[in-house]
Amino acid sequence: MRFNEKELVCLSRQPSEMAAELGMRGPKKGDVVKRRLVKLVVNFLFYFRTDEEEPIGALLLEQCRVEREDSQTFSIAFLDEAERKYLFECDSEEQCKEWIDSIIKASYEFMRKNLIFYRMEIHRLTGKDPLEQYGISDETRFQVNSGSHFMARDTSSL
Amino acid sequence: MKLNERSVAHYATCDSPPDKTGFLFKKGERNTAYHRRWFVLKGNMLFYFEERDSREPIGVIVLEGCTVELCESVEEFAFAIKFDCARARVYKLAAENQAAMESWVKALSRASFDYMRLVVKELERQLEEIQDAAGAGGQQARPKPSRRNQVARSRSGASSSSSSSSSLSSSSSAPSMAAVYSAQKMLQDEVQLISGSSRENGVAWSKPPSASANGSAEAAPSRAPPVPPRRLGASLESPVSPDTACFSKLHDWYGREVEELRAQWLQSQ
Repeated sequence: MRFNEKELVCLSRQPSEMAAELGMRGPKKGDVVKRRLVKLVVNFLFYFRTDEEEPIGALLLEQCRVEREDSQTFSIAFLDEAERKYLFECDSEEQCKEWIDSIIKASYEFMRKNLIFYRMEIHRLTGKDPLEQYGISDETRFQVNSGSHFMARDTSSL
Repeated sequence: MKLNERSVAHYATCDSPPDKTGFLFKKGERNTAYHRRWFVLKGNMLFYFEERDSREPIGVIVLEGCTVELCESVEEFAFAIKFDCARARVYKLAAENQAAMESWVKALSRASFDYMRLVVKELERQLEEIQDAAGAGGQQARPKPSRRNQVARSRSGASSSSSSSSSLSSSSSAPSMAAVYSAQKMLQDEVQLISGSSRENGVAWSKPPSASANGSAEAAPSRAPPVPPRRLGASLESPVSPDTACFSKLHDWYGREVEELRAQWLQSQ
């Protein structure tokens, strides 16, 4: 599948909410833990060899599950291949928690759910659609879709 | 650079509802003919398939940081997806009619993660204000301090917005290219929103914009422009970095874009 690699590499250079050196292990059998600079930009997780400008790779963080493996380790698995896990070793429990939280929130689909929740809540409290004043209330991406839940998955940490 | 391609392709075809789908003509890279492809927009990812019922996408365009422009082309209803990074490829696409073209340009312009994040933050803030107001017996919530700093430039004031709007309407009176005219028309509609003429929703917690040149900080929230700014590359501060007031800065950048487009159009006359 083709993708616009140059632009994605460019994206990896943007200022990031979360960037740190972590131990990273790939999902394949026989993969070992390697020290990588891991950087979160929008809904992508880039990973670099330390001190290299261009990332080795990128993970799109949609349709994935983030789990705590132990006090300082978390994993990312993609729903289409749930047994294959990328493992990340942090330096502290605190750091691990921070990364898990950030990655959960780094998905477009997660944001969409929150938006729908806020939109409906504001409408419920005020009787007005908050998106109407911006002229974007009809945009597909802001609609409540039939069959999907209305509540944001986790608003307590917001 | 590696990408988790299998999972990305899965995202394209999984049952999460797409934001937009349809046929578009895509100009090839080596073979410069336009090929008809089935496009699926999900979040900030634009997938394209050979056929509507193909099981896997041929490719994907990551839309983060892109701008969408109408373009001059032999092909009718053509538009381009452009990026600000060095030697970036320009993706030329064409729709089957005017309405489809406008609809795609609108959808693609708002597809970035950053934009979604801004809208979410804005609604989050609004909800907080409502809840605070309810708690404080209907008092108006104070805006956050950082927002004030960003509104210092005169560009974001009500007066400069409406002057942009009227200049746009005069320059689009004698268009030479149908494509440019419709771009102006779209921008004109959106600039109207910014000057806040008819869009106050009259809820107690939203104040109308003040007449002063720099606008009041309270006015900024009700004037979020629908179109995100052009990204100027890695050096440009992200509009959603913690210290930036989101919508007013976005508004400043938007004002600049409108000016540039108008200048370009006037030059082409």
